[in-house]
Amino acid sequence: MIRIGLRLSVNGGKEAVVRLVVTAAAVAIGVGLLLVTVAGVHAVHAQDVREAWLNTTAHNERPSVDETTSDPLWGTASLDEYRDRSIERVDVAATGPRSPVPPGLPSLPRPGEFYASPALTHLLATTPARLLGARYEGHQVGTIGPVALASPESLVIVIGHSVAELSHAPGAAEVRSFETAPQGTSGDRHPGRMQLILAVVAGALLFPVLIFIAAASRLAAARREERFAAMRLVGATPRQVGAIASVEAAVAAVGGVAGGFALFLVLRSPMAAIPFTGQPFFPRDLSLHPLDVALVAVGVPIAAALAARVALRRVQISPLGVSRRITPPVPRAWRALPLVAGLGELAYFVGRRPGTTSGQVRAYGVGFLLAMGGLVIAGPWLTMLGARVTARRTNRPAGLIAGRRLADNPRAAFRAVSGLIVALFISSSALGVITTILAYHSASTGGAAGRSILVELFGSEDVKGQHDGGQVDVSPGVLRQVGSIGGVHAVAVLRGGAPAAPGPALGPSGGLVSCEQLARLPALGRCAPGASVASMPVYFSAGGVVAHKIGAGPVWPAASVSPVQLQATPVMAVYVGTDGSTGAIEAVRTTLEAAFPYLGSPSTIGEISADNAQLVAGWERLADVAIIGSLAIAACSLVVSVAAGLVERKRPFSLLRLAGTPLAVLRRVVTIEAAVPLVVVAVISVATGFVAADLFLRSQLSETLRLPGAGFYTIVAGGMAVALGIIVSTFPLLERITGPEVARNE
Amino acid sequence: MSVARVVSDDRAPGALLEGRHLVKSFGATPALRDASVSVWPGEIVAVMGPSGSGKSTLLHCLAGILVPEAGEVLFSDRRLDTMGEPARSALRRDRFGFVFQSGQLVPELTAEENVALPLLLNRVRRSAALAETREWFERLGLSGLEQRRSGELSGGQAQRVAVARALVVHPEVLFADEPTGSLDSLTGEHVMELLVAACRQQGTTVVLVTHDARVAAYAEREVVVRDGTVSALTGGPVTR
Repeated sequence: MIRIGLRLSVNGGKEAVVRLVVTAAAVAIGVGLLLVTVAGVHAVHAQDVREAWLNTTAHNERPSVDETTSDPLWGTASLDEYRDRSIERVDVAATGPRSPVPPGLPSLPRPGEFYASPALTHLLATTPARLLGARYEGHQVGTIGPVALASPESLVIVIGHSVAELSHAPGAAEVRSFETAPQGTSGDRHPGRMQLILAVVAGALLFPVLIFIAAASRLAAARREERFAAMRLVGATPRQVGAIASVEAAVAAVGGVAGGFALFLVLRSPMAAIPFTGQPFFPRDLSLHPLDVALVAVGVPIAAALAARVALRRVQISPLGVSRRITPPVPRAWRALPLVAGLGELAYFVGRRPGTTSGQVRAYGVGFLLAMGGLVIAGPWLTMLGARVTARRTNRPAGLIAGRRLADNPRAAFRAVSGLIVALFISSSALGVITTILAYHSASTGGAAGRSILVELFGSEDVKGQHDGGQVDVSPGVLRQVGSIGGVHAVAVLRGGAPAAPGPALGPSGGLVSCEQLARLPALGRCAPGASVASMPVYFSAGGVVAHKIGAGPVWPAASVSPVQLQATPVMAVYVGTDGSTGAIEAVRTTLEAAFPYLGSPSTIGEISADNAQLVAGWERLADVAIIGSLAIAACSLVVSVAAGLVERKRPFSLLRLAGTPLAVLRRVVTIEAAVPLVVVAVISVATGFVAADLFLRSQLSETLRLPGAGFYTIVAGGMAVALGIIVSTFPLLERITGPEVARNE
Repeated sequence: MSVARVVSDDRAPGALLEGRHLVKSFGATPALRDASVSVWPGEIVAVMGPSGSGKSTLLHCLAGILVPEAGEVLFSDRRLDTMGEPARSALRRDRFGFVFQSGQLVPELTAEENVALPLLLNRVRRSAALAETREWFERLGLSGLEQRRSGELSGGQAQRVAVARALVVHPEVLFADEPTGSLDSLTGEHVMELLVAACRQQGTTVVLVTHDARVAAYAEREVVVRDGTVSALTGGPVTR
């Protein structure tokens, strides 16, 4: 049977070859997408692994060297910024010859030396020193190798110091190794990002890709069934027919797998350049493990053979043809229950927020999962309802035919778009939540003042957000130097010692400010009449949450401290008012960093907003990838499903055309059959995502949903337009197979 | 059915449908070679001939489905062979009806919706179209089967639904290509009786392709196609 199957597949005439090529091409697209997705997951993981050393602590989960034999290394890591780009700064001082060496370096830099990543090396070489280079003491002795960099565009610097110097630096600690375990560590700014990416990618792309591959492998099943009927006529048993079907599907799948690997190799470099995680990948990051290769190379043909066999079981092929097609049972209304339960559960917790973090995770996690799973379960039922309404209400034949077909087998139609529902639900709910939180907490942190006032924080906050004041001596000379920079018009110093100033609940501790200095920075507020020193909150917490809205012009209460006494209190923060030019901001930053090298970079309020905006942008990028990817896959699956439907209905459609039915009517049938599930699913999943996000926000933050910006809807609408465009690509097939010239009376 | 009619170059007076000196090939295989035939209003003409003789091709040319390479097709004194495909499609939709051997019904539609389909294509409202179909279900003995799908109908029932669908728009010409070819003789006779009765009742002209003499017996006139030419005609125009 295997030999007969092989001969029929590759030597069965022109039609067999065309069928084989088309099926293999469809499988190749599916496999290519599958491999890119799997490689993308590996690439994100590879970035995290290479970045792990930046999360080094005194107690590393997976040390880079044997800590019992290594010498300690003094080190501190901070985040620097230059023109909206982050620079990872690591300061190190070896205590002995066996101190651990960071990855990517041949040896530790000695005092007065530094290593920089290639991108930072380029930036240093092309930027005036007063804007960037002067921040880093010493001279460059080499570049950091890619093994220590998340991306070819990573900006990283490792600066050498003496032990005597670094051991007194704020935040410096002794380590005996570097961390090699990725993520989940304290330094991770977006904990759980990896898991979210995996959830989005796995849910939105992998599942529909697998469905697409299965559908593609069954392409042209109707024509195959006709031949199988002829074989049954000459005595082939159902088992033998099944074996031949499996061989045929596997042959196409083997060709498709080979094509898929070739497609992956072609797509690898362009995909690596897309900054899905905020930074582009190294092309080799998009790699496949041997197990992936083996699973796809062997698994896809086996799965295709099984899918063909299962598909054949749904039809009973008698010697006189396909005698009976087993109609799947109609989806019932109970399918909506999990969705209702999920939304109901989220609604229940409005006004009843669980007291503990784990309780909240359970409550909202279960609600969201139930809603998402519920959408997938309810999908066929909702598709059927939409199709029935279409069929019942339409006066046009195209709507009638398409509606009836969708209502007959809504599972098949929904299967093609099931990945889309996951992608759109996750995207819309996540973007809804993030947009709302940022809209409430940092909406007014931008503006001209937000972009021009730099803040250097000293000291740190405790877990309650109370600022402990600084231990750093800020000399008047440094402040004068800052004040003399072109474009700087004011410098104000916030000092410790005051009780927390009145302010919003999120406000951290307060400080004292000279009213004379504050008068030059009116955007920060003003003193009560007659006061010489005022009590004012610190504007930033350590986590970058804006504590108070700038520009509101609050009046700060007078403090019972004289300007002379004020000078004796520790410095908490320095505010520098600039004209907002890049030159002024970067020069101030460079001056302050050179004076206080281990404290991280001074930031503008706008940059903190930009950081938040970056978070949203990152999410939007992820959402875009998931939406566009799943829409493209959904469109491919729909094309396969529509093409299969056309082949199945070739005869009645061609006879309809022959009897004068305009081609436009049949085109409308095809379009509606594809568009109804696509549109119904998109609308319902986006709406459900927003409802779930709104319920979560009401419960957790007592806030109502703010809808994402136009970009989200543009992507959804544009993606759907592209998907429909892909569907339109079946029109030539429709025209060709239903032409009156080819209609034969049988 | 005894007088042979010889087709001349002159147009047949009063003919509703006329094919003159038709030539059509499929690749290197000639299907029609100088075939001519005339059909008068209200008559039932059987086109007979062995398999591969070109009778279906003749029907397709007369119905404007295929365009002959030479010769002309006239319907109500209008040239069909020079019309564009949209005009021919409109003609087929509005003024012709078709019944084929099998597989004509759209599988996902009910019998009632299949019959209503041509009316919906002509922008008749759905409720009105469905009301119109009911009469045909009664006339063709299909009452009670309105909600069945094609897979739930017997061969004879499906053919009667196809006849109803062809006649529901009151076509001037019904083209039937082996309409009983997939039915047993008894069912075939029943379908033919209903078809002929319905056509006579509404004055529809019928061009019936068959190789079955019993089916041809329902016609008032026979033409025989052999090797792509109309070799013999029997009977004459029917005056009503």
